[in-house]
Amino acid sequence: MKRLFYYTALCLVIVAGSSCSKIDNYPAPSDTINGSTIDEVTGATVQTEVGGGGTRVELLETSYSSNPVPIYFQSMQDGTFNNTKVFGATYKVSVQGPFVPLIQTDSVGNVLTDSSKTIVLKNTATLNFKVQPFLRVEWVGKPVFNADSTVTVQVKITRGTNNPNYQQPITDVNLYVCNTHYDANNNYDPRYSTLTSYSGTSGNSILGQVITITTTGGALPAQDVFFRVGARINAVYDEYNYSTPVGLTYP
Amino acid sequence: MKKYKYILLTLLILSVTACRKLDIPPKNIIEDADVFSSSAGIQAYMARLYSELPIEDFRYSPQRGLNFFWIISPTPATTGEALSRDQTSSMQENFGGWSWDIWGGSYTVIHDCDYFIQTLPSYAKNFTTAQVNAWLGEAYFVRGMTYFGLVKRFGGVPIVNKTLNYVVGTSTDELKIPRSSEQAVWDQVASDFDFAIANLPAVNTDDGDGSRANKYVAAAFESRAMLYAGSIAKYNTTTLFDANHNELCGMPASLANGYFQKSYNAAVMLDGVYSLYLSAWSATDKTAQYQNFVNLFSDASSKENIFVREYQYPNSVHGYDAYNVPRQLIGPNGYSSEVNPTLNFVEMFDGIPKNADGTIQNLNSSGQYNLYTNTMDLFANAEPRLRATVILPGDVFKTQSIEIRRGIYTGSASGGINPLLPAGSRSQYPTGNLITSSTASQTPYTLPGGALMNPAGLSGIFTGDQTCAISGFSIRKWLNPNLPTSQVLENNETQTWIEMRYAEVLLNRAEAAYELYTAGQAGTTNYQQDAFDDINQIRSRAGATLLSSTGSMTIDSIRIERRKELAFENKTYWDLKRWRTFAKEQNGTIYRILMPFYSSQAGKYFFDARTDERNDVYTYDPRWYYEQIPQGAISKSTNLVQNPGY
Repeated sequence: MKRLFYYTALCLVIVAGSSCSKIDNYPAPSDTINGSTIDEVTGATVQTEVGGGGTRVELLETSYSSNPVPIYFQSMQDGTFNNTKVFGATYKVSVQGPFVPLIQTDSVGNVLTDSSKTIVLKNTATLNFKVQPFLRVEWVGKPVFNADSTVTVQVKITRGTNNPNYQQPITDVNLYVCNTHYDANNNYDPRYSTLTSYSGTSGNSILGQVITITTTGGALPAQDVFFRVGARINAVYDEYNYSTPVGLTYP
Repeated sequence: MKKYKYILLTLLILSVTACRKLDIPPKNIIEDADVFSSSAGIQAYMARLYSELPIEDFRYSPQRGLNFFWIISPTPATTGEALSRDQTSSMQENFGGWSWDIWGGSYTVIHDCDYFIQTLPSYAKNFTTAQVNAWLGEAYFVRGMTYFGLVKRFGGVPIVNKTLNYVVGTSTDELKIPRSSEQAVWDQVASDFDFAIANLPAVNTDDGDGSRANKYVAAAFESRAMLYAGSIAKYNTTTLFDANHNELCGMPASLANGYFQKSYNAAVMLDGVYSLYLSAWSATDKTAQYQNFVNLFSDASSKENIFVREYQYPNSVHGYDAYNVPRQLIGPNGYSSEVNPTLNFVEMFDGIPKNADGTIQNLNSSGQYNLYTNTMDLFANAEPRLRATVILPGDVFKTQSIEIRRGIYTGSASGGINPLLPAGSRSQYPTGNLITSSTASQTPYTLPGGALMNPAGLSGIFTGDQTCAISGFSIRKWLNPNLPTSQVLENNETQTWIEMRYAEVLLNRAEAAYELYTAGQAGTTNYQQDAFDDINQIRSRAGATLLSSTGSMTIDSIRIERRKELAFENKTYWDLKRWRTFAKEQNGTIYRILMPFYSSQAGKYFFDARTDERNDVYTYDPRWYYEQIPQGAISKSTNLVQNPGY
């Protein structure tokens, strides 16, 4: 009986002694950075792809260190971004993607221009970056179902910048077919998508022209599909500029 | 009474324990004097350095890193040389996965080299000067190799040429060494190799079998490294600067010729010392040329072997045969056919009928399939090197005919057989008129004459089971033809890995010379003629068609020669990186395969060339040309700047 009493007392002491300290004394991040990358001429958001191959936002927490390790988060496919779990602090914010870089350096590393934005984040910051996309890919009319159940689309590709450093010839123009609207170079149906590469300067001849692309591989399966056209030049990370995704109901 | 006992005990304890000195060398720690006073100690130190050399051998794959036993995402299946059921896309190296610490591991080796270089001179009196110089040369060689392994992955990395001593309680700032420029690291590689060349003897006196470095080993690797550096200077377009304008990624194009020149000079040093293996070769006999190329990978006396890694059961083993034998020769613990060469690769070779665009000619002039009595008939005149590299459908390995067949076509053959699918189609084969098998347990089909035939070959292709020749081909290179099937097991193979052979030195020399020629560098050497002679030596040994004139040579033909000769030796991955052509070759790419069918009506075979039936798309992201510096390394040393795009 006495022993039982001692054991109970011991347990109580252990429980009481070990449960007093706070586990985490710092509130979870709850501030928001949102916004978009906008084509400075057309005012439309710059289409991109989800995942690592698309536009991303770079945060440099300058209030923590003068040489901070960057934090990144990805933009959404339509060119907007929204991160609701950011610590309140001072950030230098920029975006990286298929457009003329906000921070440009010369051939020996001197910074020539820097249009990143510095913000003191408290609650919510909305940042709209005006950028010059490498290419603009615009639909001409709607995709058309052909008699053999292939689909033909028409697009026009123009340059989005006059900067001579980003006038490389077009290397690829691809028509992506996909059964969701997350339709891009990292997610498409290879059986029907039409991929065209251009070597040398041959890609320049299609600039400003209405070009016609038809799906490959014969009749499309009887289901609704999405179409998107991507084009790129060899600049920065060789990312694609895209048209908006367009869905088409199977007739 | 009890009191006296305690006093006695105390006296005893005090008198017995007080006599010994406490300050003696610890018995359980090996000290410098133990290692550096005898050649056996040096041998042990060297064994460790060499075992940690970062070379991509039988135990390497981009998925699981260096020195890992399980190779089921093989390197050739990331480069387009082959398809594999376990590797279905392009990839960068997977640091951090499978406990592969490329960063920390490499700096451990560099530290071990630095320690050796600093410590050996104070024990030099125990040895001859020649011994000391040779060992120092080896340490510089290993360090150069390790920096080479880092710079080819990351660009500029920290250069640490002395051991760092951290005093507990002091600041760690001076341990946070920033990255040097990429140029500085390539120059470090060159200077380490130059030191090794100057100090190593012509034959390593400890081990002369090619498993340890000599003067020429260092020169051969210098030719490889400097060719890499020259290619980066010429073809790389990614740049990254730190705050002090050090170019961490990329180099000025003006440096290219200097590196190519170094590569060429280093390669020339081996002239007349090593030679192409020709023991079983005959100028007129294609079978002898084939057998010679096969033997090259197993003959320990070959004068072509410059630097090798040896294996020994049970201490150091690999599983190459277990993973890669054709399906019908599968070993007791499963696996087989991990490396299935693509048709794209096979089409690089001479001696097979081709269309004007270089693709294999499997159709006649009216667009119908050509028919063959045996599947090997299509390859009757194939380049001997191709047969020694790839098991073609119907060729003989381990006395068996390796049977590769996609299915039996039962449709009419009287008016010829039209292609099963429209040209370029990526759809599945139509199932009408086609008898196939989903697994290796097959139900034989009765042919019109009454004979029985399995729908698929013994080595595939099975529609529901990818443990077979999914491309229509199986790998031949490196496989041991004398290993009994009962011994085809994981962790049981011991054939030697040839990391550097003279053929590569010739190819380095040809490429460097041609780059110098196209850059207008005219010295006393006719670089164009030199490249031409090198390539024709390789082609002659391979049994390939010789180049007709110096003018018919292009940088592309030199590169393709390299890819054919060094295929499946884990070299193409790095070549595609340094040429910066990976992202062009793997750009929404689906690799091609060659499917043999048997027509039951014609009693003959035909071949269908198409894209991979699995529709696996390869797209290489150009930011992978510079790998991501492991995040853990940056957390520990915050002065490290991450590479672009990560």
